[in-house]
Amino acid sequence: MRIQDEILIGEMLIQLNPKQAKLKAELQEYFEGVITLELKAELNNPNHFEGGGPEFKKAMRTMGADGWIGLSWKKELGGKELSPMEQYIFVETVMRTGFPFPFLTTESVGPMIAEHGSDWAKEEIATKILRGELIFGIGYSEPNSGTDLASLQTKAIKEADGYLINGQKMWTSLANFSDYIWLAARTDFEAKNHKGISMFIVPTDDPGFSMTAINTLGDVRTNATFYDNIRVPDSNLVGQINQGWSLITSQLNLERLALVNHGPVEELYRNVLKLAETTKINNDQSLADLSWVKHNFAQVYAGVEALKLICWKQTSIMESGQLNMAEASVAKVYGSEFFIEAYRLLMEIMGELSLLKNDSELSVLNAKLERMYRTASILTFGGGTNEVQRDIIAMAGLLMPRTR
Amino acid sequence: MEFAELSHQSEIRDSLDKILVEQCTPEKLKEFDVTFKHDEPLLSLLASNGYLGLGVNEEHGGSGENLYDLGILFERLGFHAAPLSLVGCLVDVAQTIQKFSENKAHLDLIGAIVGGEIHTSAILEPLNQEPESPMTRAEINGDQLIISGTKYLSEIASKAKSILISVNSDEGVLLVLVDSNAIEISELSTTANSPSFKVELDAVSVDRSAIIHSSGKGLEALRYLLQINMVMRSYLALGVTEKMTALIASYTSEREQFGRVIGSFQAVSHRAADCFIDLECLRLVNQQAAVNLNTNLDCENDALVSKIWAGNACHRISYSAQHLHGGMGVDKDYVLWRYCLLAKECELINGSASQNIDRLGLNITANQ
Repeated sequence: MRIQDEILIGEMLIQLNPKQAKLKAELQEYFEGVITLELKAELNNPNHFEGGGPEFKKAMRTMGADGWIGLSWKKELGGKELSPMEQYIFVETVMRTGFPFPFLTTESVGPMIAEHGSDWAKEEIATKILRGELIFGIGYSEPNSGTDLASLQTKAIKEADGYLINGQKMWTSLANFSDYIWLAARTDFEAKNHKGISMFIVPTDDPGFSMTAINTLGDVRTNATFYDNIRVPDSNLVGQINQGWSLITSQLNLERLALVNHGPVEELYRNVLKLAETTKINNDQSLADLSWVKHNFAQVYAGVEALKLICWKQTSIMESGQLNMAEASVAKVYGSEFFIEAYRLLMEIMGELSLLKNDSELSVLNAKLERMYRTASILTFGGGTNEVQRDIIAMAGLLMPRTR
Repeated sequence: MEFAELSHQSEIRDSLDKILVEQCTPEKLKEFDVTFKHDEPLLSLLASNGYLGLGVNEEHGGSGENLYDLGILFERLGFHAAPLSLVGCLVDVAQTIQKFSENKAHLDLIGAIVGGEIHTSAILEPLNQEPESPMTRAEINGDQLIISGTKYLSEIASKAKSILISVNSDEGVLLVLVDSNAIEISELSTTANSPSFKVELDAVSVDRSAIIHSSGKGLEALRYLLQINMVMRSYLALGVTEKMTALIASYTSEREQFGRVIGSFQAVSHRAADCFIDLECLRLVNQQAAVNLNTNLDCENDALVSKIWAGNACHRISYSAQHLHGGMGVDKDYVLWRYCLLAKECELINGSASQNIDRLGLNITANQ
């Protein structure tokens, strides 16, 4: 056996190529300019953790004007049509800054409306999303429909020139400052669960719309939203009637990957490491000199490396237009469970200091670590609960029988 | 970014599997459970089909310097529990000489190894936590090195023509290739019945020309050896754990209890899914280490990360496989038990997960 293949193109490369590295550097520089001190201060205010404040709105419009919204959109729809790897780099870079970029609006809802929306929706909604002027809340979950989303009961009844919507949604994040809700509603009550769902654009300024706040462990506000005899015209229906399920699931893989992007945890690791190296515990030693502290850092490092590679590989599979269900689920399960482990290991390093929330000198990275651990737990069940992901891995990855 | 294998790499995997499925039958593996575990005919077959030249430069009769290709070989040897221990020969000796030697006599050994000749290494020492700082000493006496010390876990030393030994000296670390006739060896009995030897050197005298690297490069060469050894052992571990995970999937999809196959119980399928996740992580960290070592002689952190994952995956998948198989897992008429012993060997040789975590921790924090 002699190997003839001398072609360098296509040779394995487990790092960013020069073009991708350049994009990353450009983005880093760009965000340093956009994320001003005023914006940082605003984002430290619990009411604006998730955005919605005046500085946030200003930054969104700037990014829209500079063409940094619409990365995944096709070019003919006004988007950048970046490759999955370039999108991953964008998500990584923006998440490292801590800016709550509304990916669901701009990269999930936006391109769906641009592609499948009515003429009104394309002109009025899609273009404004591209300009950074609109935010959507996502109306999927209901009190009795979480993991089994297709069982949702919010209904949209066909009337002469539109639809009459009634129902309740749960965990409608961003609803408190969003302009519209991207709403999944039942339009066929006879069909099988997932075959009777349609997608609507519902304005939050309708008198039939109301909400109550749900305050969470992570101090991130979310909402229960109520839809009481809301009438929307036909043009607010996106895609074909009863075909909503395919819109809901079409971008799930990219979304799941964005949830477990390795950027934020790697950034936190680096920052805690820097802090531990400069934190003196006596005249001769810093925190990072302690052997158990080194072990914790090494555990995080080894875990981040695996997460980075899982995400990169998934993304590069998407680049070639393929999908691998088992590996997408591996990314979701591994990433979400690793975050919790990593935050624990890093908090152990800083010890009791990790508990402080308000003292800017003593608290760890301005209490960022304290806050991140509180928000981590939602990822193991959010975005497709890990039990379902493990079912998928066993079935699609190991060809084992369906679990019931 | 490119993770996909080139077509020739997938071909290596497929054609190797064809040979190994035929050669490593349960009946044959059973014979090697109770005899010296070294399948000479299989070695010749691999040599005559060019597989011992994977990762070796064309000028030495190989198929090109690519450690990923060599990784495929070890992965498949692990997957089939092949009765061959070749890390010392193909990795420690051939690869280190290829990268560090300028001596024609040594370089010629690579061609001999590609052709099926056995040479091996003796690097590890009992209780030495820092293998890059050998306790074995060489006293330099003119053109002679007088070597004394004890090495162990040297693979197939009884079949080896020469043994690559790491020593400390007044000139620092040296890697010395010693004729095996000059050395006293004794066979060790180990958990996976691998052909393993203790090598004792009592003032063994060798000529300076036995040093395989140029002056002052000994430590660098030894560090490289230890790193590629870690990565290739992690590839063995990948094959071993891949097989165990496949056994879990197939066994639990057939075994029925309470009127249904046990793989349809979520408690079972989720434990299997966790094995799949460990396996994916191991595959990726191995790939990163092998690819990076192709272009950079020192990738210690990548190598450590791959060996850490190998240690953890071997342990976790092995015990999950045992547990999910019930009594079948320990029955020597079924295949699993052999993999569990191999997994323990892969886990512990050249650094356990905890030891390597310690090492990685030192590397990534600033030393003051």
